[in-house]
Amino acid sequence: MSDKNNKIPFNEDNYTHNINRNNERKLDRRGFMKTLVGAAGVFAVSSLPWGALAAKELSGLGDKKYPKQKIAKVDSLAIGDSVDFAFPGEHDSAILIRLSEKKYVAYQNACTHLRCPVFWKKDEGEMICPCHHGKFDVNSGEPTAGPPRRPLPEIQVKEENGAVYAVGVKRYEA
Amino acid sequence: MKRSYVPVTLLLVVLMLNIIFTQYMVHQYFYENYSNTIIAAVINVILFPIAFIIYKKGVKVND
Ligand code: FES
Repeated sequence: MSDKNNKIPFNEDNYTHNINRNNERKLDRRGFMKTLVGAAGVFAVSSLPWGALAAKELSGLGDKKYPKQKIAKVDSLAIGDSVDFAFPGEHDSAILIRLSEKKYVAYQNACTHLRCPVFWKKDEGEMICPCHHGKFDVNSGEPTAGPPRRPLPEIQVKEENGAVYAVGVKRYEA
Repeated sequence: MKRSYVPVTLLLVVLMLNIIFTQYMVHQYFYENYSNTIIAAVINVILFPIAFIIYKKGVKVND
């Protein structure tokens, strides 16, 4: 240390002569690239749980088994008619539609928009949500009009000894 | 002192792809297209070593 600082006053008019902050916060090219690599790492790590969840869904680990449940007698349901039921839980309202002699489709009928009950409009051949005029294709459950963007969850049905049973809830395939 | 901004540009492209695939992944998850979700997640993971390699090559080109 020189005795430069002991002179009072300094023989300069700059009292911050020994504070050098030039480039103190400079983000150079290397530092910027490091940040970008770090960001890529964060993206990669945060992708993992999504991939894991998706893999779980795909592998069917998330599928639950439900006891089969009788919905209606075949002769009580004319072709083109529908009946409401609840499956798999008693509050999961659902609708069964008989499309032809042998073809039945069933969906959970809570609209995928805001969960209003979707009903079957026989003469238009569509499932309609009364709340915001959402429409669903009866063969696939896909939304065809209105605000809903996701299909109705399909319920697997089986005809046995003159009655229709709900056996499971199908995963929606793209 | 000759610096190259090519790696920087490449890294910015990687970041852009990360953003695109992350958004795609999340959307595909909620649309229940799970295989697309996995594809996007894998791409996102692969992008990290790519970014790292670009960085490694890039810092050698002087700073
Ligand atoms: S709740 Fe069905 S369309 Fe809005």
